[in-house]
Amino acid sequence: MKSVRHYLDVTFYNIRLALMTILEYPGDFLGWLLSNPIQFVVGFATIRFVVQEFGTINGWDQGQLAFLYGISVISHAFSMMLFVQGWFMGYYVVEGEFDRYMLRPLSVLYQFFFTNFNVFGITDLIPGICVFAYGCMQVHFAWNISRVAAVLLLIAGATMIRGGIYIFMGTFSFWTKSVNDFAGFTQEFFDKTTMYPLTMYPKAMQFVLTYLIPIGWISFYPAEGLLKGINTGVIFTFFIGVVVLAFAGIFFQYGLTRYESAGH
Amino acid sequence: MEAIKVEHLVKEYTIVKKEKGLGGAVKGLFAPKKEVVRAVDDISFVIPKGEITAFIGPNGAGKSTTVKMMSGILTPTSGSVLIKGKNPATQRKEVVQNLGVVFGQRTQLNWDLRLGESFELMRHIYQIEPSLYEENMKMMDQILGISEFINTPVRQLSLGQRMRGDLVSAMLHSPDIIFLDEPTIGLDVEGKYAIRKFIKEINRVKGTTIILTTHDLQDIEELCKRLIIINRGKIMEDGPLEALIDRIAPYKELVVVYFDEEFAEHEKAEIVSREGNIVTYRFEKKEMTGARLICDLSEKKKFKDATIKETKIEDIIRIAYAEQI
Repeated sequence: MKSVRHYLDVTFYNIRLALMTILEYPGDFLGWLLSNPIQFVVGFATIRFVVQEFGTINGWDQGQLAFLYGISVISHAFSMMLFVQGWFMGYYVVEGEFDRYMLRPLSVLYQFFFTNFNVFGITDLIPGICVFAYGCMQVHFAWNISRVAAVLLLIAGATMIRGGIYIFMGTFSFWTKSVNDFAGFTQEFFDKTTMYPLTMYPKAMQFVLTYLIPIGWISFYPAEGLLKGINTGVIFTFFIGVVVLAFAGIFFQYGLTRYESAGH
Repeated sequence: MEAIKVEHLVKEYTIVKKEKGLGGAVKGLFAPKKEVVRAVDDISFVIPKGEITAFIGPNGAGKSTTVKMMSGILTPTSGSVLIKGKNPATQRKEVVQNLGVVFGQRTQLNWDLRLGESFELMRHIYQIEPSLYEENMKMMDQILGISEFINTPVRQLSLGQRMRGDLVSAMLHSPDIIFLDEPTIGLDVEGKYAIRKFIKEINRVKGTTIILTTHDLQDIEELCKRLIIINRGKIMEDGPLEALIDRIAPYKELVVVYFDEEFAEHEKAEIVSREGNIVTYRFEKKEMTGARLICDLSEKKKFKDATIKETKIEDIIRIAYAEQI
């Protein structure tokens, strides 16, 4: 209990520092606020174009696709706020930037993510919510308490799956000793696999994205369930999220014993 | 209980040897030539509470690696480190709660914000009581004068100011032990003076155990009772500075200026040089004192002036670095 309060206290202070940093460089924030949503507007425009040309994608109409895409973007936004540092873990490993976190009496992984709390993630959240709301209207999604809970559980689970995968990929830097900048690749890959129905991909890829790298559980399976009126599917997403994140954390701790800092 | 106990500590790194050119790069891809390097090679020592100890050695000798293992950053290949009875590799959080570490070459302050914000962050991270925080801030300000630049963003501080900021940030939680890795590197005379004053004060007032690595020999002369020389990963020397001086240079020199070319001799002092009326004698410290020699010589022959010369610390350290076990 004492340690939970300790972590919360530091978290709030870190968020304050992040906001102060934005005020220190207001131009940066404005730039993100303008440029980031465009990326998703373009993304959704692509979907609309495809749907208008072909009617549906694998039996999913425009409203259903917006619903799916909205979940994908919202969970992306949260993963950007909490876990975006994972993309740059290689840099921290090679440059010895973990030193300072290891000198403080808090979990290294916690400090890694929360010391640089990324407020810019909010700029992704706005288009995500817009697209999702549009999708909900189109499919006449009937909101009630259990559905609100289901969507919240889903977003939490999906964010954890994404974060866990970032940590996993970053942790390999402890072995490769290279900067491994996989930001662009990951973004592309997650985009392509979470914004379209998984069933449009070949069977082998569906298998991989369901059982080996659980990306299918970020948006496709839970969205499919919710659209059919099944709420319980999201529990899988949440559960898988917890497992992936826990596993990634253990893997990271193991990687950290191989940390070599920089310069001897 | 001793503050730090290090036993048979070893750290090995695997480095991949690259051959030159594209051909070498391709070859390295398929048949990498790996080599195991021992950065720290079986070192042991004990540091009692309240002592100031200097780690010195040439670049790449293993000083920083040793400090990083003691602070829990690096996991030892073998051997053990105990900080107040706790192992930093497995009990990292408990160990660092009572540890302050400063790396001269890398700041731990928040680059983008005013200096004071970094101190506030420490208050939250270490859960420092407000009264203790105030008290420590006041003390640090007295020694280091940080209130002058506490409202300046860290990116705009001079190196000397930044270093002072780093020291304060590492001391706010009143650690019993601090590690300073090259704290005076790149600082001007004033900066070095402030840092040394700080180290002395903290040690005197709070009884803090301090380990510092340095290339500045004046740091050692002014601060440290004990010196550990590390070279090629091994401890070459461990003891007071005077003992090292006595071992490497057990003699002193006396330069005497006579009135003319005539000079005196002494059975316990060897003449190492003579230029006109200036004669340099060398005598063993164990057999002879400077005062005695001056007295004896002046009885034999009158002279104008006499100066006792000690071997320069710089030369002593250079000789010590060149020695091999």
